[in-house]
Amino acid sequence: MNDIVFGQYLPGHSIIHRLDPRLKIASLLLLLIAVFFDAGFIGYGLIGLFVLLALLLSRIPFKRVLKSMKPMIFMVLFLTIFNLFFVRIGHVVYRLGPVPIYSGAIRQTEYIVVRLVLIICLTTMLTSTTKPLDMTLGLERLMKPLRKVGFPVHEVAMMISIALRFIPTLMEETQRIMKAQASRGVDFNEGTFKEKIAAIVSLIIPLFISAFQRAEDLANAMESRNYNPSAKRTRFHQLHWHYYDTIAITLVLCLFFGIWGLSFIL
Amino acid sequence: MAITFKEVEYTYSPDTPFAYHALKGINLNIPKGSFTALIGHTGSGKSTLIQHINGLLIPTQGEVCIDDYIITPNNKQKLKPLRKKAGLVFQFPEYQLFEETIEKDIIFGPMNFGVDEETAKKIAREMLVKVGLDESYLERSPFELSGGQKRRVAIAGILAMEPDILVLDEPTAGLDPQGTKEMMHLFKDFQQTGKSVIMVTHDMNQVLEYCDHAIVMNHGKIEKNCSVTELFNETEYLESLSIDLPIITSFIHQLNQQGFNLPVSIRSVDELIEAIGGELHE
Repeated sequence: MNDIVFGQYLPGHSIIHRLDPRLKIASLLLLLIAVFFDAGFIGYGLIGLFVLLALLLSRIPFKRVLKSMKPMIFMVLFLTIFNLFFVRIGHVVYRLGPVPIYSGAIRQTEYIVVRLVLIICLTTMLTSTTKPLDMTLGLERLMKPLRKVGFPVHEVAMMISIALRFIPTLMEETQRIMKAQASRGVDFNEGTFKEKIAAIVSLIIPLFISAFQRAEDLANAMESRNYNPSAKRTRFHQLHWHYYDTIAITLVLCLFFGIWGLSFIL
Repeated sequence: MAITFKEVEYTYSPDTPFAYHALKGINLNIPKGSFTALIGHTGSGKSTLIQHINGLLIPTQGEVCIDDYIITPNNKQKLKPLRKKAGLVFQFPEYQLFEETIEKDIIFGPMNFGVDEETAKKIAREMLVKVGLDESYLERSPFELSGGQKRRVAIAGILAMEPDILVLDEPTAGLDPQGTKEMMHLFKDFQQTGKSVIMVTHDMNQVLEYCDHAIVMNHGKIEKNCSVTELFNETEYLESLSIDLPIITSFIHQLNQQGFNLPVSIRSVDELIEAIGGELHE
């Protein structure tokens, strides 16, 4: 249960931690787009180098990044097999029994794996170096222009921050209920298919009930403090743009346009 | 059903930045048939300790013996039989209810341990009455009950497993005085059938009235392991932990300061009245 690394904040004081969340979110978006430009292996090499550098700067242990890729291994494997067997571009390089493997298939598979790895690295970096609250604040700020077209920016930001806030609470709750049911003889690891279903039901129902209860309590608490989503509000916590944010965004933009340019040349 | 802890250590999430050393060299022996109170501040390791009794947590060092069940850090044996032996009632157990009817919820535990449905239903009926609800509740949904009633059903669900050891984590938190009294009598009756009860509590009046043994935990260590009478004799120690004395004991201390000579082993109001009456006669 505690193995879920993906999306968890890791406290720290590195330069990457201190960067403005707006910048980090925008950079993530730009780089995610850049990952999908076909700029050959030079392009991926550049992005990879950039990611590596940022990882080193952020002092996130490599073990953690690897761990966050664990849930994706199955997907990568699945895509690899599909691509290898079903893409038929280029010439046959190898025969695996009756199945021919094409050069184009290998190239595409490599692309997919590299892209996935880069995407996971980038997102892990954002989530492990940015406090959930900063993230919502950044998102709210970035989405601000959308308010002009009637998009409920504040409400969405509030929803995201509440959701993020309750992830650890719900995880704790899950563990608590699992322990309580284990004490009543539920075996969450072993058993027949039917027993497993029963085990999950005994977890899900109490979890839902307590989640709804919590939602109601929170709604009441907010209402009794007169919360009004459309009210004009100021923030105690302000975002400040520093010189190193300017440097970082310049670097990211250079990389982005560089990769874009490369994709035209190649 | 004796419980023995030998040099037990427990660390949460070891080898990570979040590692927390919760139990430090716990040595403990709880004899069969006792009613033991587990006292200590929040974060002193009480909850961690009780989760070792039914194998929810495996010690990171040392060993836990429950009868002939020996649990060591590299435990390989099945824990299910142990969970039946030691029934654990968590704090606010009402959150573990999930079935459509109360009957189904109570028989859930016994049936997981291989009791057949007929017998389980019989036990369910018995336990429901024991916790102070009548049979008309059997077919009702547990979710339409009040908080206190839900608590009773949850406790009936554990009692229906017919454990030899009952472990309770603040079982009366949030109950009204009448409900509290009924619950405590229920646990006392359970103990008097020769079974052990271990109860985490912050209420010293309960400790005095129902328990015969007390364990005080502080910062992951056991600081006191003695009889209840001995514990309440150590007024200074309790004060240092800012634990209030039970009302009766504190009253006796005050009387004794004024020249009375009452024994501190008095545990109920009736006994106290009798003793005061005796003293006044002399």
